[in-house]
Amino acid sequence: MKHRLVRLVTAGGLALVAAITAIAPSASASSSLTKVRFAYDFPWPDMELIPVIVAQKEGFFKDHGLKVSIVFPPTTSTTVQMLATKDTDIAMLSTSDLVVAVKAKVPVVSIANYSMKNNWGLFALPGSKLSLATLKGKKVFSWGDTWTTAMLPFVLKKAGLTAKDITVVNGEADTPLLKAGKVDFVTNTTNYAIPGIGGKPVQIVGKAAGVPAVPVWVYATGSSYAKKHGKTVSAFMAAMKDATQWSIDNQGKAVRYFDKAFPDSGYTHSYNVKAWKLTVPLLKNKSGDFFVQTKKQWTTLAQAMVDVKQIDKAEKPSAYFTNKFLP
Amino acid sequence: MRFRRNLLGSFLSFVVVIGVWQAIISFGHVAPYVAPTPLDAWRSIVENWSHLWPLTLTTAKETVFGFGAGAALGMGLGVLLSKRRFVQRVIYPILILSQAIPIIALAPPLVLVLGFGLTPKVVIVAWIVFFPVTVSVLDGLANVDRDLLMLARAYGASPWRTFLAIEVPSASASLFSGLKIGATYAVTGAIIGELAASSGSSLAMFQHAQSAQLDAAGVYGTTLIMTAVGMSWFGLITLVEFFTTPWKRRSIARRAGRHI
Repeated sequence: MKHRLVRLVTAGGLALVAAITAIAPSASASSSLTKVRFAYDFPWPDMELIPVIVAQKEGFFKDHGLKVSIVFPPTTSTTVQMLATKDTDIAMLSTSDLVVAVKAKVPVVSIANYSMKNNWGLFALPGSKLSLATLKGKKVFSWGDTWTTAMLPFVLKKAGLTAKDITVVNGEADTPLLKAGKVDFVTNTTNYAIPGIGGKPVQIVGKAAGVPAVPVWVYATGSSYAKKHGKTVSAFMAAMKDATQWSIDNQGKAVRYFDKAFPDSGYTHSYNVKAWKLTVPLLKNKSGDFFVQTKKQWTTLAQAMVDVKQIDKAEKPSAYFTNKFLP
Repeated sequence: MRFRRNLLGSFLSFVVVIGVWQAIISFGHVAPYVAPTPLDAWRSIVENWSHLWPLTLTTAKETVFGFGAGAALGMGLGVLLSKRRFVQRVIYPILILSQAIPIIALAPPLVLVLGFGLTPKVVIVAWIVFFPVTVSVLDGLANVDRDLLMLARAYGASPWRTFLAIEVPSASASLFSGLKIGATYAVTGAIIGELAASSGSSLAMFQHAQSAQLDAAGVYGTTLIMTAVGMSWFGLITLVEFFTTPWKRRSIARRAGRHI
């Protein structure tokens, strides 16, 4: 009896030591990873976060020595401020938010394009006879953000109208208002509007809407963070390249990662599948590259924002972006 | 004398708040795109006044109309519930439930049903205002001196006469407490309604646009205007209370100084 007890205790002790030994290397490996906070551009998660989730789940961040956590801004217009106040290290923003930030002397810089095309425009319910020609007198939903404020005048110009010819409705939810018939058009990008509205909505997008060919979203960081942690920023972008490619090659699995990470996002799996499928063609330029920014895109956008009086003057392109952290 | 002391106290409070604000910005080395100085916020108001004034009038209209609707509903409900116990037992829990619904969650469905004109904002403000008014009227009427009521009955006063001559004056202190609470929160309801959806520009959307522009001075300036609307309305209710309840002010009878 006594012998058996001694054997049991010894076996238990050895098992405990083995377990601790197994855990300890992982703990020390984890502590050697550089921690990075990534802020999204929206207060709640949606499918454009997929590359970051994939990078977490497939270990791309870990492979590049990083441990990335995702933070969400309290409102749609505070991501830039989070970068400025160092409440986050790297973020995703709209390009127009970055132009406004530079104008306000917020020390931030764009490190990569997220998307490469302008897929923003006006959307109406499927089957409606609405078009740019019939825009006059219509109600158009706007999120009140810098991007919509910058782009809408281009649409009006293309339609030969002024701001007085339409009623802009500002609010916090576009599709319910459209489906309830309270607005005639909503403003959004294709990868959100099409799956959100459903069917084949009427679209007036990109060139047809008269908007400049500039990307909508970028990755950005604080200027001081980029100076002090250049290697970390480069590692982040290298991981994002791997993750984005993987997310394109494994779309179904990538979406499921997102669904599992954010089951309460409010978006159905079906929506996420459609939306990510629509996002994929936006991610590479004509040369097949991810992320690469151009002077032309920043000059075009900044001048466009000067023309609609959102900013007083356009800075030189180097004030807005750098490609030096790209893999 | 008392009025002057109150005024001085209010002025000093204002100075302290502004002083603390300035000190935090100056000594905290807060970046201008995070928070402005009081002077920068004021400058932003002055610079944008031609644009802000019509928006302020719109918000004030929503506040006043919503408050009026909420106060009327609250007073009516308060009287009904005090006179009909059974109705009170049925309705009162529903009223409490109505306040448990976050108003932020209520705003978007209201907009879908009522559109984005004045109506949904008035409904939201009324929703916020009616409950404190109902409760204060109910409490006020419940604490009327029973002896006075019996005396009125003994003298043959009708229920209506008793209500007007005894119950309303007795409940007025409580009523105005509820109205002042409602007045303070009314402008919040108007802003929530504007944020849910507004056609054209509104004070809330203007502030939202300033925030998107990282114009902290504009954001704080607009906040000051919203505060001023709320405080003005509170002040007006206090003034109405002052003039409509003269019996609450202490009256000192002058004696001729004769020794009896």
